[in-house]
Amino acid sequence: MFSEQAAQRAHTLLSPPSANNATFARVPVATYTNSSQPFRLGVGVKKLCELQPEEKCCVVGTLFKAMPLQPSILREVSEEHNLLPQPPRSKYIHPDDELVLEDELQRIKLKGTIDVSKLVTGTVLAVFGSVRDDGKFLVEDYCFADLAPQKPAPPLDTDRFVLLVSGLGLGGGGGESLLGTQLLVDVVTGQLGDEGEQCSAAHVSRVILAGNLLSHSTQSRDSINKAKYLTKKTQAASVEAVKMLDEILLQLSASVPVDVMPGEFDPTNYTLPQQPLHPCMFPLATAYSTLQLVTNPYQATIDGVRFLGTSGQNVSDIFRYSSMEDHLEILEWTLRVRHISPTAPDTLGCYPFYKTDPFIFPECPHVYFCGNTPSFGSKIIRGPEDQTVLLVTVPDFSATQTACLVNLRSLACQPISFSGFGAEDDDLGGLGLGP
Amino acid sequence: MADQLYLENIDEFVTDQNKIVTYKWLSYTLGVHVNQAKQMLYDYVERKRKENSGAQLHVTYLVSGSLIQNGHSCHKVAVVREDKLEAVKSKLAVTASIHVYSIQKAMLKDSGPLFNTDYDILKSNLQNCSKFSAIQCAAAVPRAPAESSSSSKKFEQSHLHMSSETQANNELTTNGHGPPASKQVSQQPKGIMGMFASKAAAKTQETNKETKTEAKEVTNASAAGNKAPGKGNMMSNFFGKAAMNKFKVNLDSEQAVKEEKIVEQPTVSVTEPKLATPAGLKKSSKKAEPVKVLQKEKKRGKRVALSDDETKETENMRKKRRRIKLPESDSSEDEDSPGAYEAESPSPPPPPSPPLEPVPKTEPEPPSVKSSSGENKRKRKRVLKSKTYLDGEGCIVTEKVYESESCTDSEEELNMKTSSVHRPPAMTVKKEPREERKGPKKGTAALGKANRQVSITGFFQRK
Repeated sequence: MFSEQAAQRAHTLLSPPSANNATFARVPVATYTNSSQPFRLGVGVKKLCELQPEEKCCVVGTLFKAMPLQPSILREVSEEHNLLPQPPRSKYIHPDDELVLEDELQRIKLKGTIDVSKLVTGTVLAVFGSVRDDGKFLVEDYCFADLAPQKPAPPLDTDRFVLLVSGLGLGGGGGESLLGTQLLVDVVTGQLGDEGEQCSAAHVSRVILAGNLLSHSTQSRDSINKAKYLTKKTQAASVEAVKMLDEILLQLSASVPVDVMPGEFDPTNYTLPQQPLHPCMFPLATAYSTLQLVTNPYQATIDGVRFLGTSGQNVSDIFRYSSMEDHLEILEWTLRVRHISPTAPDTLGCYPFYKTDPFIFPECPHVYFCGNTPSFGSKIIRGPEDQTVLLVTVPDFSATQTACLVNLRSLACQPISFSGFGAEDDDLGGLGLGP
Repeated sequence: MADQLYLENIDEFVTDQNKIVTYKWLSYTLGVHVNQAKQMLYDYVERKRKENSGAQLHVTYLVSGSLIQNGHSCHKVAVVREDKLEAVKSKLAVTASIHVYSIQKAMLKDSGPLFNTDYDILKSNLQNCSKFSAIQCAAAVPRAPAESSSSSKKFEQSHLHMSSETQANNELTTNGHGPPASKQVSQQPKGIMGMFASKAAAKTQETNKETKTEAKEVTNASAAGNKAPGKGNMMSNFFGKAAMNKFKVNLDSEQAVKEEKIVEQPTVSVTEPKLATPAGLKKSSKKAEPVKVLQKEKKRGKRVALSDDETKETENMRKKRRRIKLPESDSSEDEDSPGAYEAESPSPPPPPSPPLEPVPKTEPEPPSVKSSSGENKRKRKRVLKSKTYLDGEGCIVTEKVYESESCTDSEEELNMKTSSVHRPPAMTVKKEPREERKGPKKGTAALGKANRQVSITGFFQRK
């Protein structure tokens, strides 16, 4: 390109000197912006104890959000305030919330261009700004750790699917959801549908049950408050529900590998990470080695694709203390912050890890899901180093009768929903096909 | 031919029995592949409608397909009534499959009954739920029950590191081999194990239970303490003439019952380690055994006691049993009363020694054990008591017999070895009232039928 243009001149300089000497005008500058700010070495990362007033610097620390509406057990039991226990709310944010940045030695209040309502306690971030006279740190910019490095997934030649279901809600007394559950099991085990559909169902290589297998109503503790003579021969509601679950797991594990994660209402420990359900509860289903009882959060590599997911407690806890409304958005945000559950153990129960925090992402997964969300959502996001992640919010099956099918080859997700027919409602409406 | 059969079957189910015939139900009932069942249902519907257009048949279909919703393509699977089928089909962008779901005579208001039918048939076929399905999974092989139970046991044991409870529950295996609690018990009499080995060998035919029995016996021995000295005498001691034959019979039956004992042992061993072995032994013996039987039991350990429990009904020895029962219940420990086997005693006839051979052998051992483990809890001692009862001919018989009695002071144990003679005086005071109580009871019992347990009110009747 350059040489061709140069070769077009007619005469060369291999000749006696001529009178005219051509001059060419330099092309003017069209646009120019200098965006190499991040490379300026003038900004140092300092500790809070080294801060000088009015000096621009970067500080890295953990956020703490002071919320007046946050339920505090100390305030409740304190008698001098005579406070009644606060009723549970859906969101505890308040315009008066304040952010405080803590590092190893000190803490400092933040103000400035930082979205107080969106952030939650436990987030690790870097802020750029300077300390003011009033002792607060004026933030000009901030950033998170962003996505962790990711190993590329090996390409697959055939379509393989993983079915994600959550919130089966057994023992809840909803007949509609039982039919939906049975239809789901029938589709996966190949009993329902034409041959074409059965062939596709045979490509489902795994089923992951992401928590809340039992319904919230099985957790009722009425028997504690009632008199003993009234509750003498009664059985906990979860006993019947676990029997039903055992039968369903038996049908599933006779046909496909199943991973069962515990959830908020399941009979296992409350603090994260939740331990697997005990196999003695499933005498029929544990006969099959295809049944795997796993922890919450759960990560696995299925056919080369890295899956990581929770039963939804982390996302719903962040939802309560942040202004973010969309569960999918929250899911993406946890990925960018590089921590599965920043609010634990502040507002979410968590095992007191001392040396290492297992909830930090050392590596970026290919599919990141969370269960028991109000609705289905899926999105593909890209990271700064070309990472590709499929985010899936698995809806609560007992409410929506919807599960998710993830295609491992194309990293796409499709919801699959089931319905029967009822007397009152219009069939089309029930199916969601109405106008 | 075969085709007609299924048509008739379906006809019968739907029309005559008024059932809801779903494809799943038909598949399990006729034992055919699910797809075949669906095709059968379809075929039936077609034919029936052709023959008789006014047929009372309501059909539900399963429709599945995809449609665009909220910006993404959603796969829907739905069970619909026949009248809504076309409408639903038209809404779907891509129809993946349609097939007959069920046939029934009456119009269904909602899909609840369909689900119930499927659920019922599934429940009765849980073990082979994927037999007729279109997808077979090679990896889904049910584990053998032994394998799964062992894996579950491993799971348990790995979690129950504090296994002091484990001895109480299951597993003779754990009892014999391992949990710390049972170990403590067995450690005490460790030295005595050897002594009992011969006894055990003589007694137990079964190999398996032997370890348990040894553990038991050892514990018994430790708990019991000294039965040793008097054992030989003891056996001969309470062989009053009248009682002789009965005892013989008892022993014989005991021999025969040894096998039963072994069988019972497991149950016994379960209870045994739970408490102080004496307590455990006591329980078994409490079931009203005659003194002799009791003593025998003590010697042989739980086994004997247990067998006696089983056999006492069948055998005689009501009289002796009755005597023991009540006092036993009061006094804690059981037959292991290392009775000061007062050597003297009513002329010990050379009784059925062979059966007693093993028994006397063990007698010497317990006492030594007892002294060594003197600080054990209450021991049962053999005390000489005279019992008065009415025998078969209506004659009042008094005889001195050894019966177990609990005694908490260790001094007694020491005494036992030395001289049994001292014991009776010390104990007689206690025993007197007991004997008297027993006397009247015995009378009533003797009159009564075999196996009848004396109640506390028997005391009053007699008097």
